[in-house]
Amino acid sequence: MNHVFRKLQVTVTQQASILSPSLCRTTPSIQHPVWCTASVGDREYKGMPTHGIGRWKYLLPRQAPKKKKDKTQMKQMVSATDTAYGTLNVKVSGYDMTVVEHYSQYIHNLCNRLGIQVAESYALPTKSTEVMLMQEQGNKMYVEAVLKTHQRVVQLSSLNTSLCPIFVDVLLKNQPEGVQLSVKEHTEADFQARFKARPELEGLIAQINQ
Amino acid sequence: MVSRSFPQLLTCFNRTAVGSAGCRRFSITPPGRATPQSNTAVERVTSPWTLMAAVCLQRLPVITADCSPIEQRFKQMMQQMELEKSLLSDHELRLMEDAERMSRKQGNEYDSDEEEGHGDQAIMLAQDLEDTWEQRFKSFQPAPRVRADLDKDLTSVQRCLADSLVLLAEQQVGAEKLWLLPQAAWQEGETLRQTAERALCSVTAAGFKATFLGNAPCGVYKYKLPKAARTESSVGTKVFFFKAILADSAPGTAPNTALLWVKKSELQKYLKPAYMMKVDRCILSL
Repeated sequence: MNHVFRKLQVTVTQQASILSPSLCRTTPSIQHPVWCTASVGDREYKGMPTHGIGRWKYLLPRQAPKKKKDKTQMKQMVSATDTAYGTLNVKVSGYDMTVVEHYSQYIHNLCNRLGIQVAESYALPTKSTEVMLMQEQGNKMYVEAVLKTHQRVVQLSSLNTSLCPIFVDVLLKNQPEGVQLSVKEHTEADFQARFKARPELEGLIAQINQ
Repeated sequence: MVSRSFPQLLTCFNRTAVGSAGCRRFSITPPGRATPQSNTAVERVTSPWTLMAAVCLQRLPVITADCSPIEQRFKQMMQQMELEKSLLSDHELRLMEDAERMSRKQGNEYDSDEEEGHGDQAIMLAQDLEDTWEQRFKSFQPAPRVRADLDKDLTSVQRCLADSLVLLAEQQVGAEKLWLLPQAAWQEGETLRQTAERALCSVTAAGFKATFLGNAPCGVYKYKLPKAARTESSVGTKVFFFKAILADSAPGTAPNTALLWVKKSELQKYLKPAYMMKVDRCILSL
């Protein structure tokens, strides 16, 4: 092993000597390339006062290596105890999107203020309802209007029982017109309902199982 | 106290158009309550206070409150700004196209073959649609927002639709009749919330459907009996207030006690000062 290194060193030093005139103009004389010296122990540049001046990654907290393919997992559901409710879903729905969004933002900010832990805040897909009216003369129905129902969910991880009546009272007193408010427990089914169905995958699984 | 597991809260509140009952429509999924487990060996510390639970039943506002002058001016200004910044909608674009086509038709050099296929749009102009909509809007009669005669009737639950009202009942306390939040004495083996529900049922003769907002009380009022009436076992009463929201106000039978629906500002006229101070803190004036 050693003689290989020595051979490398010999060739390298020859190159260094050939190139040194051009190198000297651009590089300061103190810096020597790593492979010129015999061992790692006496790297001369480490003695430079500004050695390692730009290092910052060692200051960050240790992160586990991120896996590329990570299936979206449900956040841990908190179960109800004697003094607090478990994971609750506060669902706001209505026809007017700005009002619904502003109200859900208000709820989120209120929770932050009151110290209620908010697990997640997401939107469910918009449902379109077609309003069809019968024509005055004749049996045909024609499309009168298309109403879109928007839904926003604020998921609370736990709610103190002593805080609950006050919290719900404030929400109800500030409820805007045309907006429906619903407070329910969070279930696994609610979480799974957010995903799109994949018919090909289900077909393949069924085939495998057969 | 008997320990019990915590019931879950499942409620749905709608704030849509005024229903026939003049209240917000509610859908309540009854919470799954576990039966109370009675501990055989329970050391009960007898306290000299008698416990009572009262229900603070509120009817939430049905219509929006009127805006103050500054709010109105700001609203108008914001609407105007948004209108000026907004883009034309589909309907308005159609109106413009139709008007333009009309003007081209009236012109001398009009070739209907060159017109792109606008089939039904040529038959049913956007302006006609707008006219039919205007007609239908004019024929719609909304209910009056404020009815002066109902506002003065304190016993009606439909008074003052823009404010939230609290239920008061006249109950016999000791020797005199006082106006209070409906209350009942706590009995062994039930939770305070059940006591509050019982209080509501007994006072209103099971006419009102209420949703209780939780198992924890929102306020307490302590009343010490006068020195003459105090004994070893009864020093006074503690009344715990529970919040509830009115769900359905169809009074089936006439109530057996006198009931009032009052706004927060009118509470002072009916309640005793010390009691009023404690109740005032529970009711949010929003």
